[in-house]
Amino acid sequence: MTDFSFALLSPLAPEIFLAVAGLFLLVVGVFRGDKDTSLVGWMTVLAFAITGYLLLNGSWEETTALNGMFIMDQFAGIVKLVILTGLIISVALGIDHIKQENTARFEYPILTLFAGLGMLLMVSANDLLSLYMGLELQSLALYVLASINRDNVKSSEAGLKYFVLGAISSGMLLFGASLVYGYTGSTNFATIGEALAQQGSMGAIIGLVFMLSGLAFKVSAVPFHMWTPDVYEGAPTSVTAFFAMVPKIAAIALLIRLLFEAFPSIAGQWTQIIWILSALSMAVGAFAALQQANIKRLLAYSSIGNMGFALVGLAAGSVEGIACVIVYMVIYMIMTAGTFGIVLSMRRNGHAVENISDLSGLSRNNPVMAYALAILMFSMSGIPPLAGFFGKFLVFKAAVGAGLYGLSVFGVLCSVVAAYYYIRIIKIMFFDEPVAKFDAGVPFARNLIVGLSVAFMLLFIFNPSPLLDISRDAVSVFFHNE
Amino acid sequence: MTPEFMDTYFWPLLFILGHIGAIIGCILLVMAYYTYAERKVLGAMQRRQGPMTVGPFGLLQPIADGIKLLSKETIIPSQASKVVFLIAPMLTFALALVAWAVIPIDAGLALADINVGILYLFAISSMGVYGIIMAGWASNSKYAFLGSMRSASQMVSYEVSMGLVIVTVLLCVGSLNLSDIITAYRPWWMQVLLLPMLFVFLISILAECNRAPFDLPEGESEITGGFMVEYSAMTFALFFLGEYTNMILMSAMTTVLFLGGWLPPFNIEALDFVPGFMWFVLKTFGVMFFFLWARATFPRYRYDQLMRLGWKIFLPFTLIWVLVVSGTLIYMDALPGQLE
Amino acid sequence: MLQPLAFYLFSLVTLLSATFVITAKNPVHSVLFLILAFFNAAGLFVLLGAEFVAMILVIVYVGAVAVLFLFVVMMLDTGFAELRKGALQYVPIGLVIGGVLLAELIFIYSAWEFAPSITNNIASPVTAESNTVSLGLLLYTDYVYAFQIAGLILLVAMIGAIVLTHRQRSGVRRQKIKEQNTRKRDDAMEVVKVTTGKGV
Repeated sequence: MTDFSFALLSPLAPEIFLAVAGLFLLVVGVFRGDKDTSLVGWMTVLAFAITGYLLLNGSWEETTALNGMFIMDQFAGIVKLVILTGLIISVALGIDHIKQENTARFEYPILTLFAGLGMLLMVSANDLLSLYMGLELQSLALYVLASINRDNVKSSEAGLKYFVLGAISSGMLLFGASLVYGYTGSTNFATIGEALAQQGSMGAIIGLVFMLSGLAFKVSAVPFHMWTPDVYEGAPTSVTAFFAMVPKIAAIALLIRLLFEAFPSIAGQWTQIIWILSALSMAVGAFAALQQANIKRLLAYSSIGNMGFALVGLAAGSVEGIACVIVYMVIYMIMTAGTFGIVLSMRRNGHAVENISDLSGLSRNNPVMAYALAILMFSMSGIPPLAGFFGKFLVFKAAVGAGLYGLSVFGVLCSVVAAYYYIRIIKIMFFDEPVAKFDAGVPFARNLIVGLSVAFMLLFIFNPSPLLDISRDAVSVFFHNE
Repeated sequence: MTPEFMDTYFWPLLFILGHIGAIIGCILLVMAYYTYAERKVLGAMQRRQGPMTVGPFGLLQPIADGIKLLSKETIIPSQASKVVFLIAPMLTFALALVAWAVIPIDAGLALADINVGILYLFAISSMGVYGIIMAGWASNSKYAFLGSMRSASQMVSYEVSMGLVIVTVLLCVGSLNLSDIITAYRPWWMQVLLLPMLFVFLISILAECNRAPFDLPEGESEITGGFMVEYSAMTFALFFLGEYTNMILMSAMTTVLFLGGWLPPFNIEALDFVPGFMWFVLKTFGVMFFFLWARATFPRYRYDQLMRLGWKIFLPFTLIWVLVVSGTLIYMDALPGQLE
Repeated sequence: MLQPLAFYLFSLVTLLSATFVITAKNPVHSVLFLILAFFNAAGLFVLLGAEFVAMILVIVYVGAVAVLFLFVVMMLDTGFAELRKGALQYVPIGLVIGGVLLAELIFIYSAWEFAPSITNNIASPVTAESNTVSLGLLLYTDYVYAFQIAGLILLVAMIGAIVLTHRQRSGVRRQKIKEQNTRKRDDAMEVVKVTTGKGV
């Protein structure tokens, strides 16, 4: 036994703080009750902010802790910061929304907090065990969040579907992990990598296939995407916003670390799988969304498609490619935050409306909202000079750099198809006859988030290099051997 | 049959079977006279005489009862799920008996002195609930079903606090082996610390055995005998045997965990001349008397009161006590020193 | 001889009851067979010398999880035959998936090969005096991280169960034990001097 000292835990300081804050807020919530939900909510935001501060103040040198199960490095630091930003945005969006829907429960922000903790742990996972633990902590909180509006049949259905399918995917992940463990004799990523570098084995590859399908479920890549539209539609809109923004970043980061730390020696095998996942996701995201009338379902397919674009970068497997995945995810997160901020404001007579036709003639009723949504939609469809264009452009550039011409061409074609339904929304807003106005009285936090998001879309072009440089720095940790 | 075979398998097997037979014989005898004692004690506490007719002082009463139950007809309800209906009482009785395998009656005098004895006991007692659930379900009767539902939730609830009580004891002794638990050195402050746990444990075993004042699963005034309502003759007798054997088992468990097993009270050396198993038996009888005493004294709890006691009082209290005990052990530097 | 005999007994019963879990018509019987399977699996653990795991398997799975399982299945009185009706149409796709998995498993086992360094990675068998002690030592040192997160996961599960099911009903009459105990005689009755012939 080695001697224990608290210094050994210092890489975990942000996570430990967040866990303790969660327990503390739980007690606050239990004693103050549901009427103080917004207090608990803003305290959760504060907790995320302090966690971010601790993260920024901590060392980002590559260190492992707790028997190699936890790793802290540049990559983890950057991704965690992004995730914390996303968490802050989604809680801020959520607090006002659940009050408007009269479903205010103090557990809402707390579950978000624990889901966030799970994501931070996923990003830092350096072992099959900690991978699974972080993933389960995150998923379990998400299942509950999906059905938190328990008196609504759709919300309950969403939670149940998500739970059952999620459990199956976790089972596949575990089965794969057990095969990998069996064939390499270790659960540590680095040791697995060494063992496979010496001699690849069929068992480990099949194990990897199962693990990939489990993780593909979490990022909702086709053919493991079935849950996404139903869950996005059924869950309360603020929860949908959260689902669309944050968990996928954590899952993608986890996927990147798993593939590049544990399985770099069989990259030839897994790039094929990622290639197929990516192509299918882009196709389904583009074509299935054409038929949707509900804007939440539309955004669900859009997120499937966007995951496909992000996976293109991963399929490239180069420094450039992975860095682009990070950039893409950041841009997508901010874009989604703005879009959902507007979707949350689609209310008539105190009730939320979710159909695309409800946006009809918005430019005459509420021009500011219409222009904001138009910018976000243009950005989503990848029209230059908006930020969304850069995401796609960089990803395809990296793919071409890695010689994936077929995938790049296919991706561009899909994004052209996808542009149709984004632009259709703009057409409905600007050229169709107006219907009744939306309710006034949009909360300040939501307006702020939409505003910042739109500003980011417009201004990204003027200085894109910091984000790119940071991402390149971050992912360089996976390529230290070259 | 080679002599080698006889030596390695036959004789040890015969010895084990003999040992088992002896234990079961003793248990059944004690159990039979426990029912007699119950009626006598209740009688005395209610200023009556209890059974007096069969044999001198009614001493042959339990035997007469046994013969009666054996000779009656076993009725199986036509709508019952027959196999499950018949397995349920057997399971209850069998589980009550197999747990005795690990109870050390004297130093080294246990059928199997296994490493995880206390976990084995706990596992077997947590399985006891199946006999009751199966009986209630297989009877295809509302009363039986209600009774088994009550019983199942009651036993599961009280197992939680029982488990935590056991944890506090384990923290103090540092072993899962029953003999080690008995012989572990316990300074006076440790015994004071464990005293509240003894009370919690005593109350929990009342609930675990479905005994008064927690005999709601039987609650004859509301559900006419609960899960046993459809049982008659031998099948009923097996439930009855199981219940009483379980009470004896729980008493023995209390003796092992808290009362020092076969050791003389307070380790007074002058009392060493009494053989160890006598102390064990005496202490167990003491706890068994507590069962009867409680039955004669307390009115039956209401169901919500029972659940409230289990979840809102015992669970937090035992949880806190686990912290208190471990904290004290660290403070006194008295953690069981097995792990150096 | 006794050990192999016990092994074959336990494995046979485990396999048979596992089969019956699927084939039993009555769901309650399925759960009972499942419990039997758990119990025999515990027996197999004992044979492996992992007595702690065996006991925990019985306490946790048999004693707690399966009881709740049985509870729920017994309470559900819907026609299970109805639910099974449509199941037949999924047999082909089930067979395909099962076949693929089987093929993969065969594939894996036929390609069983160890890299030279892997033997170093494989954990050495436990040598401490009892496996309870060695499990505890591992769980609270090397694997304390996973252990703590498991605790958080259970906490989230608990919060989730409460969020989704607990309802504050209004108008429920509850027993207020404190009020009952602090009730004084004066709160409940009034002593009145009654003069004869006048009444109260």
